[in-house]
Amino acid sequence: MLELDKFIEWIHSSLLYLIGLDWVVSLIEYVLIGVAFLSLYAVLALILIYVERKICAFFQCRLGPTRVGPWGLFQSIADMVKILLKEIIRIDKTDQLIFKVAPFIVIIGSFCTFGALQFGRGLHGVDFNVGLFYMLAISSLGVVGILLAGWASNNKYTLIGAMRSGAQLVSYELSAGISLLTMVIISGSLNLTDIIEGQANAWYIFQAPLPALIAFVIYLIAGHAETNRGPFDLPEAESELTAGYHTEYSGIQFGFFYLAEYLNMFIIAAIAATVFLGGWQPFHINADWAASFNGIMDCIPTWAWFFGKVFALIFLSLWVRWTFPRLRIDQLLKLEWKILMPISLVNLLLMAVWVLIF
Amino acid sequence: MSSGEIFIVVFITAIILVSAALVIAMLISPRSTNEQKGEPYECGIPTRGTSWMQFKIGYYLFAILFLMFDVETVLLFPWAVIMKSLGVMGLCSVLFFLFILVLGLAYAWKKGALEWK
Amino acid sequence: MEFLTAYLTANNIIFFILAAIILVFGFLSVTTTKILRAATYLFFVLFAIAGLYLLLTYEFIAAVQLSVYAGGIVVLLVFAILLVKNLGEETEKVSCQKKLVSAIAAISGVVISLVTLFGFGFQNNESADELTANVNMETIGHTLMGVEKYQYLLPFEAASVFLLACIIGSVVVATNLKKEDKK
Repeated sequence: MLELDKFIEWIHSSLLYLIGLDWVVSLIEYVLIGVAFLSLYAVLALILIYVERKICAFFQCRLGPTRVGPWGLFQSIADMVKILLKEIIRIDKTDQLIFKVAPFIVIIGSFCTFGALQFGRGLHGVDFNVGLFYMLAISSLGVVGILLAGWASNNKYTLIGAMRSGAQLVSYELSAGISLLTMVIISGSLNLTDIIEGQANAWYIFQAPLPALIAFVIYLIAGHAETNRGPFDLPEAESELTAGYHTEYSGIQFGFFYLAEYLNMFIIAAIAATVFLGGWQPFHINADWAASFNGIMDCIPTWAWFFGKVFALIFLSLWVRWTFPRLRIDQLLKLEWKILMPISLVNLLLMAVWVLIF
Repeated sequence: MSSGEIFIVVFITAIILVSAALVIAMLISPRSTNEQKGEPYECGIPTRGTSWMQFKIGYYLFAILFLMFDVETVLLFPWAVIMKSLGVMGLCSVLFFLFILVLGLAYAWKKGALEWK
Repeated sequence: MEFLTAYLTANNIIFFILAAIILVFGFLSVTTTKILRAATYLFFVLFAIAGLYLLLTYEFIAAVQLSVYAGGIVVLLVFAILLVKNLGEETEKVSCQKKLVSAIAAISGVVISLVTLFGFGFQNNESADELTANVNMETIGHTLMGVEKYQYLLPFEAASVFLLACIIGSVVVATNLKKEDKK
């Protein structure tokens, strides 16, 4: 089986054998961890951008990128080089300090959340006792970056875009948080390793079908809104606000917002896959007659399960994006505060009752 | 390796990612200035007045409502973790807690604070 | 030299870096003349405080700090700042008299907290270490939801009443302001 945790252990033991000094080994390992996360982050962004452009094209009966490489595979690499080569325009009358700091906050918020994901058996970085809550908390920093970016640009479009985005992100964070809270009741732990281990026999969505399914749907809607895409893209509604809060950013500075947006899409899908669909756990049927079926499922590497689930959810999110028309801001806030919030609060109690009865 | 150490590594990597990309872009990207490049982008029309002005109160209201419910979620996390072992007692105490908060939501709803005007 | 190497553990170094960040940005956030920059500096301070909690391995409190303060209060502050008129202008310079009074207030605050800190008999024993090392979510949950001695169900329920008061207060204030806006 192609499992990467053995490989990591092998690196650790061979480094210890080769060098012997404890602190040098840790230092090398820190650098390796950093490089691993960095490259995974960048590669995922490239893949996501390509996948999105291709799938969107098929939804609209187009071909999408075809020129650079076979089936346009190298298009996003070419785009990355291009974005580095673009001029960074310096706008007068902006608050330069906040203008420069804002992309840092946005990227830190998304990267630190990314660092807490579990990609496969034993394949994870940050693993706090309060893992799930930590991810919710640190991903909420992105809002601050967006608000500061929009304000510092000294442009009316960016200001309106940032305000809308701020109101939308904070509102939808609530129902996303409450629907995850619902799942914490059944998992009994906030630690991501425990949460995934608890789904070895059956994913949580099958363990408490009704409340878990409601929570799953609410989380998908709220998470989708948190990525500022699809029907919820009014912070950057191009026909009204040009590009929303990052209108004045150019070159690579714009690239950071772009990067964070795509990776946030991945992170939301990954959290949904972890909490509801068992993370890297293979699909198991908890019955005697299914032992051989479970054995076959175990043959697929755990990281393949994880990425398979995540990309299935991302496909769903792209599908939603190109299916529904954009909401107005009053409809958006009504959906959150008058529909999703009450439902998720009731669902929380339903889950508590469910756990008590079954 | 503890999670705290990895967290620091991830955090520093994020900062390095942004600064390295910025430095590379600064080195290889062209630079030119003229008066019009420095103007805020408003579809070609010269901008009027400043953008740093008073804004709508509606956003503030949603922010403060968010904060209240955020605190509520934070308080509920320890409860959710041990809900299974608490039993009916835990359910009742949270029922009361949520009932009072839902009163607040209902009040805001009735007063029309959740409407966007 | 021995004293130095004993003192320069990784934890201490991180603590001093975080403390420096908190002090510098705290100072900047009070002295800056641009109001939104003050909020930005405050954000860094709150973030660094979360780092301090993490250093003490109070992961839950660190996450609360991030989610409620850095992600919640700062957003609220930014929205509140945007209600201010003439936002782009710098705030007027503070008069000497005010500076003097606030300096005295700040210094007396520092003195009081230092006196309290050094007057408190901190005990460096192992039982205290054990107490802090085992704070996991179950412990927090049982302490919060129990009704016995040193358990805090009543404050938990009281918090909901407190939050209700906050919601009603903010709704009343905001709806009144909305009406004024229309006039």
